[in-house]
Amino acid sequence: MTNKPVLVVGGGPAGLAAAHALASVGQQTVLVEKEGRLGGAPILSGYAKLVPSGEWARDAIGAMVGRVENNPLVNVQLSASVAAFSGTPGAFRATLSNGQSVEAGAAVLCTGFTHFDSVNKPEWGFGTYPDVVTTAQVEQMISSGRGVRCPSDGRKPERVAILLCVGSRDRQIGREWCSKICCTVSSNIAMEIREELPDTHVYIYYMDIRTFGLYETKYYWRSQEEFKVKYIKSRIAEVTSDGKRLIIKGEDTLVKRPITIPFDMVVHAIGMDPNVDNKSLAATFGIGLEPHGFIGKGSSYGNLGETSRPGIFVAGAATGPETIDDSIAQAKAAAMAAFALVHQQPVQTAAA
Amino acid sequence: MPIHEKNLIRPENLKTHENLTIDGVNVSGHWSTFIAPRVITDYNEKIEAEISALPGGEHINRCWQCGSCTNSCTVNAVNPDFNPRYWIYLIRMGMESELLRDKDIIWQCVSCNKCTYACPRDVFPEGVMKATAHWLELQGHTPKSKSTIFDEEFTEQVVATGKIEEGRIIRNFFTKTRQPLFQEWLIEMAMRVARHMPVRLGFLMGLSTVIRPRTRGWSKARDAITDYVNEQEVKQRQALGLRENEGKTGRQHEN
Repeated sequence: MTNKPVLVVGGGPAGLAAAHALASVGQQTVLVEKEGRLGGAPILSGYAKLVPSGEWARDAIGAMVGRVENNPLVNVQLSASVAAFSGTPGAFRATLSNGQSVEAGAAVLCTGFTHFDSVNKPEWGFGTYPDVVTTAQVEQMISSGRGVRCPSDGRKPERVAILLCVGSRDRQIGREWCSKICCTVSSNIAMEIREELPDTHVYIYYMDIRTFGLYETKYYWRSQEEFKVKYIKSRIAEVTSDGKRLIIKGEDTLVKRPITIPFDMVVHAIGMDPNVDNKSLAATFGIGLEPHGFIGKGSSYGNLGETSRPGIFVAGAATGPETIDDSIAQAKAAAMAAFALVHQQPVQTAAA
Repeated sequence: MPIHEKNLIRPENLKTHENLTIDGVNVSGHWSTFIAPRVITDYNEKIEAEISALPGGEHINRCWQCGSCTNSCTVNAVNPDFNPRYWIYLIRMGMESELLRDKDIIWQCVSCNKCTYACPRDVFPEGVMKATAHWLELQGHTPKSKSTIFDEEFTEQVVATGKIEEGRIIRNFFTKTRQPLFQEWLIEMAMRVARHMPVRLGFLMGLSTVIRPRTRGWSKARDAITDYVNEQEVKQRQALGLRENEGKTGRQHEN
């Protein structure tokens, strides 16, 4: 029984869940976070109310941060990354960018994703027109309490368009995956806009709506039935401006007619890219990436959270677009596997 | 090369000019036919709210365009242009001009309610059809049909007296629709009726044209019905932003 600490990389929902799960069974953990504070995307990008709980990110994820920061079994290393990693399962050694050296029995990568950068779709006006914003920016407008306003002049938008699949399902820019949560998040944002600004009309332009599972009732149906959000099947061709308002161009596929409709604000429902650091993470940890650039997973049936290298586990959006709830669940599963390894009780795989 | 999507070109969008010169180029005649753009340039967001405010239209915002209503529709089987799914979309997105193109077929719904049972989201498409027809009428887009005028005359008499009087219905209907009362078939019918009618009945009919018979104690019922109908009408007209008598042919209740 080596009982060396488990190295958890990344302090977002998955990393916080893994560290807490390990600490709760008495396992020493080193949590390495490259940013100056814990919380990951929900905290660092200023998310408002989370899907599906409806709790504010600062409360829900903030509580996860609190219980890890105050836990004596978790050694939190902020503004640090793993510079070098070597060894074998049960006896790894990591060198951190701050010079510290960590002995680790196992590692759990909870390195998350990177928001798609909308400037990569210039035809949709982000970076050209100030009133073209991203879902992350709208989340910030709501969570900061300032409300949804046009960045150009601070006015309340009378008409808002949300464009889905920005940076998702788009072979033109090498992003074939569905980012899974943007439909639901957009429905949620649409309802929040309608709640704050009841006179504002919100239109969602979609290719398919994927508010999967139980999100159907709570988001897709509710946004239409209670909040009168309108869904139009059309992938927008371009966003321009007439000098006063934004103009979106596209085809209304149900009417088979071209549309050029004025809007006050256009919101990009940005997708989840592989973490920009994934290539260097793969090199540092000696693990493989899957074809889209996310961290590759082993078989899920025997042991959830395996990478291509024994002793290194992975959880959450590092492996592909993922919800917060599922990231947390995966992190706990990976923590269990890491814990078993550190205590030299290998979990039997289905194949064995 | 053949013109693809030729079905998208609408006759009213073809513009041919007898004499037109643009920048010194003669573009007159058939060979210089222009096609007006099909682009939709704005949404009219009022329409959905207006039709939602009319009886039957309340749940229109639930529709997700599955097409179950159109697929189950009795009238659509006969007339493919009768497409409830499509109209619901036009209303929801506020494409008024597109909706008005079909104003003369929307009322053809036969209220079989197959759509009501097929709809997975309880939109109540049959109600939406009724609300839309009502909306078209209130907005003055469709004139009242003769049968509507007949129904109104019938209803007005029942409301006023609790009874109907056939002779009066026919007289008033013919007056309102500006048809001559002395028509050959009508005279023939009246004569045959008169020939076989018992004397007492003929006397009563004659009397009832002079003295209007009423259901005993009707005035309370009349006032209640009148109040309710007026209240609903005021509510609906307000929802559509219409003034008291705008777009409406006068409906007068006798006493």
